[in-house]
Amino acid sequence: MATIVEIAVGNENFQTLVTAVKVANLVDVLNSPGPFTVFAPVDAAFAQLPPGTIQTLVQNTPQLARILKFHVVPGIWKKADLVGVDKLTSVEGSVIPINASNGKFEAKNATVIMPDVEADNGVIHVIDRVMLMGLAIGRL
Amino acid sequence: MTTATLNPPNTKIPPSTHEFAEVIHRLEAGGSMLPDTPENLMQIIGIYKAYAVPMDFYWRDLLYIAERVFLNPLPAFKYFLPQEYLDLHNHYAGDTADLRIWRGEATAHPELLEFMAKGEMKQNLPKIFHHLWHDRINMEFAEECMRAMLWHRGMGGQFDPYLDTDEYKANADRAIRAYFKGNPIMLGLYKAFPDMFYEQVRQLSYYANLGLFWEIMAPVFFEMSDIYDEGGFKGVPDAMNFLVNGIFAIAGRPIYHHVYIDGECYEIIPKSKGFTWLYEAALPYVEAVFYRTSPFRGTKSYNAQANQVPSDQKDFHYGILYADVFPVGSAGIPPTLLMQDMLHFLPPYLLDYYKQYCRGDDDMLIQLGITFQRSMYNVTSAVIQALRTALLYPLDDQDPDHLMANRQFFEAQMDRFKRPEARLRNIQSQDYR
Repeated sequence: MATIVEIAVGNENFQTLVTAVKVANLVDVLNSPGPFTVFAPVDAAFAQLPPGTIQTLVQNTPQLARILKFHVVPGIWKKADLVGVDKLTSVEGSVIPINASNGKFEAKNATVIMPDVEADNGVIHVIDRVMLMGLAIGRL
Repeated sequence: MTTATLNPPNTKIPPSTHEFAEVIHRLEAGGSMLPDTPENLMQIIGIYKAYAVPMDFYWRDLLYIAERVFLNPLPAFKYFLPQEYLDLHNHYAGDTADLRIWRGEATAHPELLEFMAKGEMKQNLPKIFHHLWHDRINMEFAEECMRAMLWHRGMGGQFDPYLDTDEYKANADRAIRAYFKGNPIMLGLYKAFPDMFYEQVRQLSYYANLGLFWEIMAPVFFEMSDIYDEGGFKGVPDAMNFLVNGIFAIAGRPIYHHVYIDGECYEIIPKSKGFTWLYEAALPYVEAVFYRTSPFRGTKSYNAQANQVPSDQKDFHYGILYADVFPVGSAGIPPTLLMQDMLHFLPPYLLDYYKQYCRGDDDMLIQLGITFQRSMYNVTSAVIQALRTALLYPLDDQDPDHLMANRQFFEAQMDRFKRPEARLRNIQSQDYR
């Protein structure tokens, strides 16, 4: 098998993600033994973001790294493990709401389009939308 | 999200039964809390322009105070911007921009420079005379917004918790010692009362935070005014969507606090902390300034027995979305400062408009204040739509569960306007002026 980064590099649907991970200097982290659960947005997910968003993030690597770390959870969480789990805490520190019941598999407002891609150092769930950190309920 | 056309009202979920169902359905169709009329569009764009010019001063001076004036115990000249900060390049305007939002220049706006030179008196006098004659930009308003952010604290993001960490104190300590090097009195005071100094530095970090926030909003508003002049906006939703896209484009810009002492840069909050414009500046700003602020001295009693002022900060409702604008110009009404600043930079079409209504020239401060309130409802709509985009689902999503989640989010936001002071009802009608 291959590491999380190697799998992403080998798949043509993750070119934006791979570039972002490289720019943010997270390659070594995601190649480390981990293990990690990564929610990996496909290129089309990045393309949904309004123009300029990526440009600003690529210019500012700590900020880009923070967004990417929000997509990584420590430990291995497969789809089957997540039934009945309503949230995970990301490496960034914020909470990712999870909905893996009633035939759905959603992380925050993203839908998992390909679950349980296994890697040497963790598992990848492919998602259709870039996740952005949430805020406490009741506030803006 | 970038599309200008309104989506047809969705029929996949039943209509809302909320008090503000009409507004909610409009938001769900891609609209704004502010009704889409040409008159509203003209008003809000005109006031964005009038707001952006003093804002161009505010952000420069906020950064100047945070970075250079720093802990000066007698900052008598903190509103006297040095040329260096007038020439400072806005990161989002001009040819050198990181991401060009406004096509104009990166240095201070020409109308601002002209006002600073000649003022209302239209005379070239030394700065100090304009200042003493109160013929100037009311920078105290910007500081009041900063203090609202500082005092309300804890409104999301990682910026505020960071101010209480040992790491932050160590960074502040280095800068404090460098700043007062060779000043045994201040160093002695610092030794005796370190927390007093840390708290001052925290306030200065909020100066930087707000300065970096407004550095974005000024070019956004200038560009919107230019687009409107070119005939580029077809309606209020277009103007709102421009703001939504602007919010996303800039969301990741770093928020930091650097201090320059004897030519050396002290990073009190380094860029490497990963603090972002959206989470650490924009959203706390909207909560602190649009919603909460503090009760106007002229409209509420602070008497503890009278119980007029809530005991919980989260229940504060004295921001522009709730403000009674009619007493603007009288004592104890802080937004008067901003209204007076905007008065100097109104575009001609807005001046003509105000002359036709109410008391014409005489109550222009109030008329423009109400326009400003409308425009801030549109900005808040953009923030709500941006959050919905970031945290929830597209408006044309096919899954009814997703549409229901959007609905609940919009309803929760509108709940905040149920209280009688909220002006959401008023701005639905053109008669409110």
